[in-house]
Amino acid sequence: MSSDSEANKDAEDGEVYSLNMGPQHPSMHGVLRLLLDLRGEEVVKAKPVIGYSHRAHEKMAENRNTLQFLPNTSRVDYLSGMIYNLGYCQAIEKILEIEVPERAIFIRVIANELNRVASHLLWFGTFLLDLGGITPFLYSFDDREEILDILDQVTGSRLTYCYGRFGGVTWDVDENFLARTTAFLARIRDRLGMYKQLVTDNIILRERCTGVGVVSTALAKSYGVTGPSLRASGVAYDVRKAEPYGGYDRFDFEVPVLHEGDTMARFHIRIREIEESCKIIEQAIKGIPEGDILPKKMPKRFKLPEGEFYFAVESARGHFGMYIVGDGSDIPVKLKLRTPSFSNLSAMPETLAGTMLADTIAIVGSIDVVMPEIDR
Amino acid sequence: MSESLASTLAEYTTASEQMDYAKTGIHARHTATLEHVLSVGKTFLDEGYIFEMLTCQDLREKEEVMRLCYTFNALDSVDRHLVHVDIAGGLDAETFEAPTMSKLAGGANWQEREVFDMYGVTFTDHPELERLLLPEDADFFPLRKDFGRIEDAEDADE
Repeated sequence: MSSDSEANKDAEDGEVYSLNMGPQHPSMHGVLRLLLDLRGEEVVKAKPVIGYSHRAHEKMAENRNTLQFLPNTSRVDYLSGMIYNLGYCQAIEKILEIEVPERAIFIRVIANELNRVASHLLWFGTFLLDLGGITPFLYSFDDREEILDILDQVTGSRLTYCYGRFGGVTWDVDENFLARTTAFLARIRDRLGMYKQLVTDNIILRERCTGVGVVSTALAKSYGVTGPSLRASGVAYDVRKAEPYGGYDRFDFEVPVLHEGDTMARFHIRIREIEESCKIIEQAIKGIPEGDILPKKMPKRFKLPEGEFYFAVESARGHFGMYIVGDGSDIPVKLKLRTPSFSNLSAMPETLAGTMLADTIAIVGSIDVVMPEIDR
Repeated sequence: MSESLASTLAEYTTASEQMDYAKTGIHARHTATLEHVLSVGKTFLDEGYIFEMLTCQDLREKEEVMRLCYTFNALDSVDRHLVHVDIAGGLDAETFEAPTMSKLAGGANWQEREVFDMYGVTFTDHPELERLLLPEDADFFPLRKDFGRIEDAEDADE
């Protein structure tokens, strides 16, 4: 690698050597491999090597009709599968002008936000585990398990949901679902208070994260970083507010923003997003109307009209965009999945250069990468 | 879109049309030549737009071009612009070349590598134009239309 020439050049400062971190490293989520050039413990250069879980979803999309691609969507990002699945439905509905019944809109919002909370809880647990705290991991997985059970009840799956259908959802929710969700909101709010005391206010965590891995606003915008990582760098961009889809404009919620851009800011943003999601779920449960969950009349085949379309949703990690090109048949000519972690991770080489090896774990953990979503 | 942006864009693009945002999710579509693509990119980025997405369409069979599709988006007030850049070349063309935008927007680095990986478009002066998602020794470009359907794809060993 390039380390040879750099080693000669920097001989007086100390030798530069390469360290291979991952793809099977306990704190590299999934199969991320980082090729690090180190001088002592300082990172000279970091090069993410990706593609270990590439499954060619975009090629599959060009080889099957719009409906057949539906189960693929939640496999792209297995931690916010519901958001991807429903997002794809919403994209096709927008293109084909299919109207979604009111009840289905509310059910989707509840399912989406529960999924977002589950994803953030998993991040919370694993991030702290990476930093050496095992206890919060056990607690947050306990909370997350409750969400998985609730969603399992209506979807039949735990992670890779295929709950959406063009025009609505597959299965209606019952009183039990709503009651359990309400009970979960009370539980997680109680837990968040405990997490604040035990984790957020913990001096060890703060010392470890504050000022570490600063992503400036300019850097974030240059790399197209989105989601909580962008909002921690001072840009209030949330697709749910910027381009309201799926009825999100009816709900009252805030987009938390911090300006520090460091690991601690990204931590705070995600915790506050859990609270905001709870607010949305609460309003949706209160306002959910009776009625159908699928339109009465549906086309048999979902033919995409000729032209280009772009539809974006806010996943747990940021802006998930679908660029769809249709030619009048029901098989897309092109379906590009613009996934948030891909752009977020691409900003890492510049962020990691000059930091310490031990901070690498904290920084990469704090942007919440999901490898299958990057590799697609 | 501000007027200054519109007038600067008019200099560098060969065609521009407004699109129905409510239906397509895109505000405007522009066509630019390879010569002016960097100027178009710079115009957007200087106005505070982000480099949102880059992908490619394989139109070699019908129109004898590889079409790069860029989208730029303003974050504070959503304003999405799609830019088409055609690279001439039919099915027998060996290389497709385009200038790299990675010096203007960091996000272009990986997105261009992905297009190289999947479509075989080379970006001149790109700092590290290597395979990104596929193995280093891959000798195919899978998202090209003549790569075939997945079940017809030849096994590498045969």
